[in-house]
Amino acid sequence: MTVYVDINRCIGCRSCEVACQRVHGGSGHVRVSFVEGLASVPIFCHHCEEAFCAAACFSGALHKEGDRTAFDVDKCTGCGLCALACPFGVVWTEKIAHKCDLCWGRTEPACVATCPANALSTDGEPPSRQSQVRAGRAGASGCLR
Amino acid sequence: MIKVDPNLCIGCRSCSNVCPSQNILRSDSEGIRRILWKRCREECDLCVEFCPAKALTLVPFDESVSEPQLSFDLVSCRICGSRYAPEPMLSRIEAAVPPDSQRDPEGREWIRVCPACRLRAEAQRAAREGVSGRRGEALRRGK
Repeated sequence: MTVYVDINRCIGCRSCEVACQRVHGGSGHVRVSFVEGLASVPIFCHHCEEAFCAAACFSGALHKEGDRTAFDVDKCTGCGLCALACPFGVVWTEKIAHKCDLCWGRTEPACVATCPANALSTDGEPPSRQSQVRAGRAGASGCLR
Repeated sequence: MIKVDPNLCIGCRSCSNVCPSQNILRSDSEGIRRILWKRCREECDLCVEFCPAKALTLVPFDESVSEPQLSFDLVSCRICGSRYAPEPMLSRIEAAVPPDSQRDPEGREWIRVCPACRLRAEAQRAAREGVSGRRGEALRRGK
């Protein structure tokens, strides 16, 4: 699974940050950055194919699992190497490391489910079309979701 | 108690984090990280096991041996100047990342830039490339 961002749709409301914090016990893994007062951009882990955070991790806590850069909290010592190895500044170490886990175990990442502007999606379809499909499905099943 | 090899220690936060007795004290202030390994009688060797640099060894308790202490100058970010990491940690990252991946699209050595500035730079790149219409033009003009 990949989370796609349509920057043209982002309204900078930071709902994604809040949703991420809510499902991850207060430590959010997405930051909305504001660029020159003209654009807002949610930035989070790219789950790099060649993940330098995982290469730098000596304990095996950060590792590749298919397309995902996964994190095993039990193995992390909070040394801080991963945070210094991420080219995008989206791995943080407080007491231990934390980063986007694509909301593993949930049907959809909380940021995607929450974004009121449809700027985030998991299928990379233009969100307007995607919302049409959703609306169609909701209509067909008789529920408004 | 713990013996530290100052030539191997990279100044990370592993041992001070995993010590269950808080016998390893770490502080970052005024651009310097200080780590102090207090004399301990514990048989536990978690810090030894979880040292990424294999710099620690468990030795018999000896009151006459002074407590090991190391200090590291924190390196300044090339963009904002904040002091963000000990040099040996950055050198270790440079050894782990392939040489042809050590420059960002602007040509900067990104390992020498603090994580907060890396995130800002990534947002600027994404905005210039991703925003269409008049806002996008203004962003690209501002480059």
